[in-house]
Amino acid sequence: MTTQSGNPWNFVPHQHQGPHRETAPDAHTRSPTKHNGPVKSAGIMTFMGAPYCEPDRHKIRAMGAKICFLGAPWDLGTIVRTGASSGPQGIREASTQYFPYMFEYDVDLMTFFNVVDCGDVPIVPGNNELSQQYIADYVTECLEGGAKVILVGGDHSVPIPGARALSEHVTRHKPDGKIGYLHVDCHLDAAVDWGGIEITNASGPTEAFKLANCSGANMAHMGSRNGLNPKDWLDFWVDNDIPIFPMSEIVERGIEACAHDILSRAWNGTDAVYFSWDTDSLDASCMPGTTCPECYGIKAREAIQLARIAGEYGVDVLELAELAPLFDASQMSTKLACTMIYHYLGSRAATLRAGNETP
Amino acid sequence: MNPAKALLHLFSPLGGDDADNYRAPGQISFMRSPFVPADSDELKASDAKYAFIGVPFDEGNVGKPGCEDGPREFRVASLDYFPYWFEFNVDLHGTAVDCGDVQMPRVNPAVARERIYTAVRTVLVAGKTPIICGGDRSVSIPASKALSDHLGAHKKMGYMHLGAHLDFADTWAGESHLSPCAMARITELENLHPDNVAHVGARNSFNPKDHVDLARARGIRFHPMFEVLERGVGEVMDETVAAVWDGTDGQYLSFNFNVMDSSSAPGVTATEPGGLEAREIIAVAAKIAARGGVSVIDVTELCPMFDISGQTSRMAVCVVMRIMAGIAKFHGETLDESVRRPGWTHND
Repeated sequence: MTTQSGNPWNFVPHQHQGPHRETAPDAHTRSPTKHNGPVKSAGIMTFMGAPYCEPDRHKIRAMGAKICFLGAPWDLGTIVRTGASSGPQGIREASTQYFPYMFEYDVDLMTFFNVVDCGDVPIVPGNNELSQQYIADYVTECLEGGAKVILVGGDHSVPIPGARALSEHVTRHKPDGKIGYLHVDCHLDAAVDWGGIEITNASGPTEAFKLANCSGANMAHMGSRNGLNPKDWLDFWVDNDIPIFPMSEIVERGIEACAHDILSRAWNGTDAVYFSWDTDSLDASCMPGTTCPECYGIKAREAIQLARIAGEYGVDVLELAELAPLFDASQMSTKLACTMIYHYLGSRAATLRAGNETP
Repeated sequence: MNPAKALLHLFSPLGGDDADNYRAPGQISFMRSPFVPADSDELKASDAKYAFIGVPFDEGNVGKPGCEDGPREFRVASLDYFPYWFEFNVDLHGTAVDCGDVQMPRVNPAVARERIYTAVRTVLVAGKTPIICGGDRSVSIPASKALSDHLGAHKKMGYMHLGAHLDFADTWAGESHLSPCAMARITELENLHPDNVAHVGARNSFNPKDHVDLARARGIRFHPMFEVLERGVGEVMDETVAAVWDGTDGQYLSFNFNVMDSSSAPGVTATEPGGLEAREIIAVAAKIAARGGVSVIDVTELCPMFDISGQTSRMAVCVVMRIMAGIAKFHGETLDESVRRPGWTHND
């Protein structure tokens, strides 16, 4: 990944650059001068046009990457329809329509975080356990490489290995370290098992709850609504004294108040936070490209607001699940999912910069 | 003779001459209005206030293709509305003509821009208000030049754009008249002062740094979406409409409906999440109409092949017709309250 200047982020993003190299190191934040730019000439698609980096802790550390994009195209853990395996590619494609520069925060995400794309986890068709193990291994490599992770599913069983990897990572470096776990979703996802299987996309929070250093005191659920939430799922949250912020409460109190509530709870006395965000938390009108679209969800502007507030707190793994471009219309879902990540990163960068901190 | 006879088009097409063509209109024109060529004497002689111009031009586009179908779908969507708008008690029948589409050469954008300029200028000279439907956003460049030249150097022009992108690229891949260059070119018009320019709705990451820098360097006050959310669309529109209309002699109003949230307008070239909702753009239309007039309206980047159920074209037509109706009401062109459907009797 070295170029004439030795800085891999000078080489990228290729889609903004084309066959003739741009001259300035930050040329990718401006309109293309020699080439027709994003969208039409996508080049080799990576997230944000970031350089590819092998998901290897030493290489990630050597590149100084602070954000790793990792695709987990696993959708055979789902109890509903499949299609989420194209989620990572959908976001990569949507990102070709955006610049890494965000005017709302006056920041170039690419060079602020030294973003890299670590490609996709090689999933094993039909083998839930092995696929999840690989997901955990790859997330571990990114975390051990000193980066935060943008993990894109895949179905919503992805947080099971994702949170496990974060939990073990924290324990490895601080034996009494704790993690927080947030679950923003239309569905309560608290199945003890589904037909005897404990690691489907309906059991993310219950599996997180089993982790030794993840207490219910640092867990929360937000966005629940409608009739795919059987009673035993609700009972899990009630019996373990974990608050849920159903859609009705978001409508009543506003997304900002609820967002601060869940994030401050997750960070209360913990060392790391796992944020699992299901795209079906959004209203079906804004996010048709999801495996289980539901009405009465949060709207795009509210999702962007949640992403900005999450950026003020920061999380160690931001995971987006159940994005299914197959069911999308006019790229609205993939662009929204991409924008949620961008606003999280933009807000995170602005927050760090305001505190004179680096990622 | 029943005095309401000539107003049959106001009523449900259950009788009268228009009954047959409600779902079978034959030739499809904006608001079922007559086709009148832009360069004809007939246009000058017409009583119409507005002249629709289709511009099926997609060669200034850097995003996904398809907006050359915009004018066609805009016309089709207009067939589903009656000329009567009950909220305003206004009849728009006869207020518009359709000048057809500007003839587009293939792969010759310079000639295309010249023709767009000529068409808009001709309509302005004929004393009509052009309603331009693109086509990509770059259509606004020659069209606004036409208004600028029509007003003349000694007059002041105002320019309002609603869209998700700043479009302030001085050049893009070496080209200077593409869609992302629109605002950069338009703000170079000599009789357009920066104080009379408004841009509302910018958001997200297709606004690279040079666009922001150029906007600021030219002294353009743009109102990003976050500001609209914080202050409310009403307050922002009060401020921007005043900037564009106060003290100017002509106003160019430009819509790129990616100002809307993707959920409210999927059928645009570059959908953007986090934008306006339908009820908010209706409020925008009301604020604009309340000024009682506009010199040019354009709608660009409608992209029907990505639309769902025709909703985006329909919303676009709705906004334009609401502005027309609001302006008519402003000038007191409302219907006589006593007009009733011929043969109408009510039982109480």
